[in-house]
Amino acid sequence: MNISKIANLKFFYTNTRKISYYMSFFVMILFIIGIYWGLFIAPEDYLQGDSYRIMYMHVPAAWLSLQTYMVMAITGFIALVWKIKIMEIISIQCAPIGALFTIIALVTGMVWGKPTWGTYWVWDARLTSELILLFLYIGVMVLYASINDKRQAVKITSLLAIIGLINIPIIHYSVEWWNTLHQGPTVTKFDKPSAHTTMLYPLLYMFIVFNIYFITVIIKRVRLGIYAREKNSKWMEEYTDD
Amino acid sequence: MKSTEISVNSATCYKNNNLIFSDVSISYNDGDIGIIMGPNGCGKTTLIRSICGIQALDEGQILLDKIDIKNHNNNYMDKIIYIGHKNSLNNDFSVYENLEYLSAFDSSSKINKINEAMKYFDIYKYRNYMVSEISEGNKKKVSLARLLISQKKVWILDEPLSYLDDTAVNIFTNLVLNHQKKGGITIASTHYDFSKNINNVKYLNMDPGR
Amino acid sequence: MINMLVKKELALYFRNLNNIFLPLVFFFLIISIFPLVLGPEKNLFDKIIPGIIWITAILTTILTSNNFFKDDFNNGIIEIYLTSDMSVELVLFLKIISCWFFTCFPILIFIPLVSLLFSIPFQNSMVILLTLFIGTPVLISIGIFGSALTLGLAKNNILTPVIIIPFYIPVLIFSASAIEAVSTGLPFEMQIYILAALLILVLPIMPYLLKYTLGLSINN
Repeated sequence: MNISKIANLKFFYTNTRKISYYMSFFVMILFIIGIYWGLFIAPEDYLQGDSYRIMYMHVPAAWLSLQTYMVMAITGFIALVWKIKIMEIISIQCAPIGALFTIIALVTGMVWGKPTWGTYWVWDARLTSELILLFLYIGVMVLYASINDKRQAVKITSLLAIIGLINIPIIHYSVEWWNTLHQGPTVTKFDKPSAHTTMLYPLLYMFIVFNIYFITVIIKRVRLGIYAREKNSKWMEEYTDD
Repeated sequence: MKSTEISVNSATCYKNNNLIFSDVSISYNDGDIGIIMGPNGCGKTTLIRSICGIQALDEGQILLDKIDIKNHNNNYMDKIIYIGHKNSLNNDFSVYENLEYLSAFDSSSKINKINEAMKYFDIYKYRNYMVSEISEGNKKKVSLARLLISQKKVWILDEPLSYLDDTAVNIFTNLVLNHQKKGGITIASTHYDFSKNINNVKYLNMDPGR
Repeated sequence: MINMLVKKELALYFRNLNNIFLPLVFFFLIISIFPLVLGPEKNLFDKIIPGIIWITAILTTILTSNNFFKDDFNNGIIEIYLTSDMSVELVLFLKIISCWFFTCFPILIFIPLVSLLFSIPFQNSMVILLTLFIGTPVLISIGIFGSALTLGLAKNNILTPVIIIPFYIPVLIFSASAIEAVSTGLPFEMQIYILAALLILVLPIMPYLLKYTLGLSINN
């Protein structure tokens, strides 16, 4: 192991404590602003009334759930090929966050589905793909949990994530195909509440906030991951003694 | 024959965040017999496996002819035969079939030497027995018989002596000596020092947590 | 050498005939459970029997490929694969093909019998057969990849299926869709082509992927 790699973990751990602390508050304020904007300022939709407002949680969560999987697979790829330790940690720590986004997207999708379709769950292409994505995340997490040597586990889950990333478009395409066969065009209004800019700005804003939230949580989780990996090392003992 | 050098360069390995060994360096040249000794859990198997490229080191390199094995394209193993502590035998095959099957994984092997190899290790009478029917010691002999079938120069053996009786140990020692005379390299991990009467042995004592 | 390797693969299966018969028996057992649970109404089964056949095929391939590398791992033969200087990909390819041939092919042979039991029209049963013929090698390959990922973790038999079933979904969807298309008189060629494309995509890559995966997972 060359020194720069240890230094990398150490550098990250020792320099992000304050940043992650302040970012938590920052992101909370951003969230409150976004929720206020979405729930009270944005205009009512003439078709769906107020119920569309859950879009401001649902759509960014769904985007982030995919984006997190991409981050997990790409950092996993970097970790496998160039053996960069911090990438290993980022890769595996993405999994629970991504699963959380997926669950948020699923639950808000169900809540939104009730007024739109009259039922909580329809086997619609988006929700079904999202559900499968959740299973992909769960697969990565259970595989990680069942391998004792965690550094070994990350290699295996990185590989699974990469294969999963190749598969996601295929799965998505096939689910779309399946959906058009069974559902017809009834669901197309799902996330197109007449694209008025006053509605779209808060959505864009929430997307950015979700991204900042992702970065905040990933920094926190990577710090935990570094601690778990390096707790026996000298610099960690010195650092925690201070 | 071109000379061969295998060197371990300040190797360090962790498992489950625990240091197994650190800063192990040794190098083997033509005609060397390398014996890796040490108590259980000191990383003998891990070191042997990393020399074969099965396991990755956390620090340090394994060099074959001064080139890091990671940079050898697939030709790295064409000089090396590895026999692990698991015998690599399939229970559903007979002794002969197993040796035949295993020789398919070794480009240098000569199928017509299988009988000779079995005779050398005194297991010819079991040639048509299923592997599940013979004793552990005989299984070990079967897996060691690969050394005679293969024509490779570097032998890397993990616990080659387990289950072997004294006669078999002598047979094995003679085999290693012959290999040494031909300029081959043998690297073996063992508890039992079979090398008392051999010259030119390089010992590597692995203390736990060094 | 290929001759010898093929012979050895054949020997592995023929010396344990259970390896061939058990998947077949399991397949019929599961198939025959459905009428017991759902009642033997013909109208119902006309609609759902293709799905039942496919789900049963999935269960069978999962069970056959679940512990595919377990013996090789315990015997140390995986180490031979990884320290070989020969083309191990060829051996792995043969192993995939032989696994498919001995566990899925017998099921394919008996599909006409299943069609008879559930009075599936001839054309539909041929399409079911075709989708199974193209689809099961993909399923087996993916299952074997899953068993390579979880090498040495066999104490948890349900782990591998949980990881790999999401990867089965495309094959399932296109197979089911082809069968549904033929039973409603629509063209089904498109789905078959996509299935074939998946097969052509997966099968040549799989031996290389398997070798890489085994190299990582041997240290599990």
